[in-house]
Amino acid sequence: MSNAAAGSSSKSKAGSSQPYETTSFKRKRGVFQKDLQHMMYGFGDDANPLPETVALVEDIVVEYVTDLAHKAQEIGSKRGKLSVEDFLYQIRKDFPKLNRCTELLSMQEELKQARKAFEVDEEKLASIE
Amino acid sequence: MKQSKDPFEAALEEQEESPPESPIGQEELEGTQSHTAGGGLEDEFETSNAAAVPGGSNVKANVAVAKNKEDDEEEEEENMDVDLASKLPSSADPSKMEKMQSILSQFTEDQMNRYESFRRSALQKANMRRLLVSITGSQKISLPMTITVCGIAKMFVGELVETARMVMTERRESGPIRPCHIREAYRRLKLEGKVPKRSVPRLFRYLILSFD
Repeated sequence: MSNAAAGSSSKSKAGSSQPYETTSFKRKRGVFQKDLQHMMYGFGDDANPLPETVALVEDIVVEYVTDLAHKAQEIGSKRGKLSVEDFLYQIRKDFPKLNRCTELLSMQEELKQARKAFEVDEEKLASIE
Repeated sequence: MKQSKDPFEAALEEQEESPPESPIGQEELEGTQSHTAGGGLEDEFETSNAAAVPGGSNVKANVAVAKNKEDDEEEEEENMDVDLASKLPSSADPSKMEKMQSILSQFTEDQMNRYESFRRSALQKANMRRLLVSITGSQKISLPMTITVCGIAKMFVGELVETARMVMTERRESGPIRPCHIREAYRRLKLEGKVPKRSVPRLFRYLILSFD
């Protein structure tokens, strides 16, 4: 499987000789590629970022998320199951990220409430008709 | 393209992923209300009319719609109304909104394009969820967790790109960012402690070396 080979070689490139999971996850190239291109442009890169740059950034981001998730899991396992709090604990030192995350979470709550309210209204409307 | 989603909920979906106090959200919502989700322009790089905000918001709706399709398994209650969309940015600070408005009105076309990319781009929740499931080995990855990690990752990309640009100005280079700049930026971020370090595998690596 060339995919698995590419996946494991890119994993070893990321610097770990012993992968945590038993490479059952065949990481295909360019999982986040399209989104990353737009994102990098938004953050200051060229309108058409170099493909090797995008690939490298994707590798770095996947490694970052992996390490973050592993650390969160280590903390979370003591408490039981993994929760959002564990991720927030990991980034507690990084204020911009922490603020952004709390903002996102509160917006999600708002949305959920709004959706619930809407559904209740819909039911009332349906019952009236 | 896939146009099964309401443009209003698409704008709502997009609004969900962006800070509440930005007026762009308001403008887009008003823009999408006046446009029907027509056309099949998914990739915003191909659109040259992204400069005009109403046109841009139409494109945005399409991109968000395309994104929404893939997040289907996450968002079940997708059929939302226009009223919800207008209720959302209520947590905005009016003075901040005014400031943003004044800044945004003075943007050049290039700047507007870039800002649009900045606001709209996001890592796909489905892919992120798949990645998290494979990392943690557990199927129970909640939606807030996915959204949070997407947000963290996006900010990390931002730090990488901005630091890489700083590296480029120091080296007095120009043009697209090259991998060497990204690597240097990554190294600097590691020194600052913004990248979580994996402590355990380093141990095994030394053990392996010692057997030689």
